[in-house]
Amino acid sequence: MSMVYVNMFLAFIMSLMGLLMYRSHLMSSLLCLEGMMLSLFIMMTVTILNNHFTLASMTPIILLVFAACEAALGLSLLVMVSNTYGTDYVQNLNLLQC
Amino acid sequence: MNLFASFMLTSMFMLLLPIIMSNTQLYKNNLYPHYVKTTISYAFAISMIPAMMFVSSGQETIVSNWHWLSIQTLKLSLSFKLDYFSIIFIPVALFVTWSIMEFSMWYMHTDPYINRFFKYLLMFLITMMILVTANNLFQLFIGWEGVGIMSFLLIGWWYGRADANTAALQAILYNRIGDVGFITAMAWFLANMNAWDFQQIFITQHKNLNIPLLGLLLAATGKSAQFGLHPWLPSAMEGPTPVSALLHSSTMVVAGVFLLIRFHPLMEQNKTMQTLTLCLGAITTLFTAICALTQNDIKKIVAFSTSSQLGLMIVTIGINQPYLAFLHICTHAFFKAMLFMCSGSIIHSLNDEQDIRKMGGLYKPMPFTTSSLIIGSLALTGMPFLTGFYSKDLIIETANTSYTNAWALSVTLIATSLTAAYSTRIMFFALLGQPRFNSLSPINENNPHLINSIKRLLVGSIFAGYLISHNIPPTTIPQMTMPHYLKLTALAMTITGFILALELNLAAKNLKFKYPSNLFKFSNLLGYFPTVMHRLPSTMSLTMSQKSASMLLDMIWLESVLPKSISHFQMKMSTIVSNQKGLVKLYFLSFMITLTLSLLLLSFHE
Repeated sequence: MSMVYVNMFLAFIMSLMGLLMYRSHLMSSLLCLEGMMLSLFIMMTVTILNNHFTLASMTPIILLVFAACEAALGLSLLVMVSNTYGTDYVQNLNLLQC
Repeated sequence: MNLFASFMLTSMFMLLLPIIMSNTQLYKNNLYPHYVKTTISYAFAISMIPAMMFVSSGQETIVSNWHWLSIQTLKLSLSFKLDYFSIIFIPVALFVTWSIMEFSMWYMHTDPYINRFFKYLLMFLITMMILVTANNLFQLFIGWEGVGIMSFLLIGWWYGRADANTAALQAILYNRIGDVGFITAMAWFLANMNAWDFQQIFITQHKNLNIPLLGLLLAATGKSAQFGLHPWLPSAMEGPTPVSALLHSSTMVVAGVFLLIRFHPLMEQNKTMQTLTLCLGAITTLFTAICALTQNDIKKIVAFSTSSQLGLMIVTIGINQPYLAFLHICTHAFFKAMLFMCSGSIIHSLNDEQDIRKMGGLYKPMPFTTSSLIIGSLALTGMPFLTGFYSKDLIIETANTSYTNAWALSVTLIATSLTAAYSTRIMFFALLGQPRFNSLSPINENNPHLINSIKRLLVGSIFAGYLISHNIPPTTIPQMTMPHYLKLTALAMTITGFILALELNLAAKNLKFKYPSNLFKFSNLLGYFPTVMHRLPSTMSLTMSQKSASMLLDMIWLESVLPKSISHFQMKMSTIVSNQKGLVKLYFLSFMITLTLSLLLLSFHE
């Protein structure tokens, strides 16, 4: 495949690695989630524009909407943890008390 | 063409003059009470002329002066009905009011606002005149509300006292509940007979008149303090004694009875209404007589006595004798006003002491008051050939010989003996025995205003029954023949009450009971009626409305049902179900290793 697609695929893989391997802050995994969403969005848009899939042109917009919802959910979870513990260190998530 | 209508209207217009004069200099000097009293005495004299014309020839008049307004098909005009009831009641009321005005010139002498007091009393009298001479329900309602308002202003005369304000408000509230009945009746008459005039109401035939008559009965219950709406009358004794004498014994409280008497052509045919009226009157007269037995305030005892006599009047209407009830209204006015005035004389002389346990031995220092109190009590209980006898004995005889409810009849007889009992109680505690009051009270009854006013009502209490009942036109035929034991029933019950009360008082004179018995507590606390009914319904309705508005709607339906219940449920479930330990990094790492391994393995698969 062409270099553009390889480039964006690599960006996606990088963000996935960042999501799955983080040290202490929950916020960094959320940021990587956003990075994954961004690379997916660009890949989808470039594919549709290059191959003239006209009818699929609304799909990036829908992707954006769902990504926004998921970001909000992730942030609310972050806020919940931060309210209870004061910080968002992952080591705090061991008690599972609500 | 005689001057019947002119004299009557002149007499009523004269009462307006002191009110009109209240903007001038006359109102500000201290001759105004004298002016008001003289006006009322002249109005009485002038109103006797049409009364005598009526007595000799039976002439009745309806004066329709001024077309006020027409509401679609209803025509309202200012019309005065001068018939049997009005023509006899107006001189009686004016006579009693004249005496009360003269009495209050002595009683309220040191009051700085005495002119305003007289103006209020006069305004009350005017609205009462409007009430009794009304020919249509609208004018009657104006008089009805007017007496209610003046009652409020006069009961709360000493408005610095919290109890007086409460009593005035209580009177207004209870009267208002009765007014609902009045307005129901007015609305029904308007909707079904298209008239508020008595003539048209009595002529048009109608099958079922229960609803308006029930409304009128409710109005009479409210205004005349029948059982269920009665607590305002003993509380109204917070007002000055002239107010109690005028409003709450002779005139205002008979307005309810007067209303029922006015509608007697409608009540004649309706047996259900008569039974209801009879039972209501019977329970009122017994209940208030029981309550009067253990009260310690002299004015409250007389107030309960008034309430009991009002119940007797309602009983008379219930046995279909409106004319006898009216006769009792007229005779009752005399001796009840006099009883209140004697109480006022005693109270003032003992330096505002109203508790009968602190009076005693007044027959030597106050002979005139003593004798008029005793004559008034005897007239009240129906001693033969005093005033009360001519109406009360006739009522008891008619009730005994008619086909009525036996329970109501026996209850009325018991109440008759209780009347004698509490009258004996007043006389025994206030007048007889050794004095129990402070020794430095300036006991003086030598004021000509006091003596003349009580003397006038005394003569009325003795002779008015004879004079009135021998001069009125014959209406319903009294029962002439009955067995001798029925004829003597009223007298026997009264004598029984007197003897029993006297014996009990003499026997227990120096004894003291440690713990009041339950019956005593029932009687002293007015049957627990105000204690329960003033607190329980209001607490319940306020609590219910708070619970339903705040708790039910806001907190439950808007907050708890969806939002809070969902979150609570989810949290409960997640804590119960999950057995994870929260090692997020480990889980993510294992995910990544799995992904990498699977990619590597699958990409090198042949």
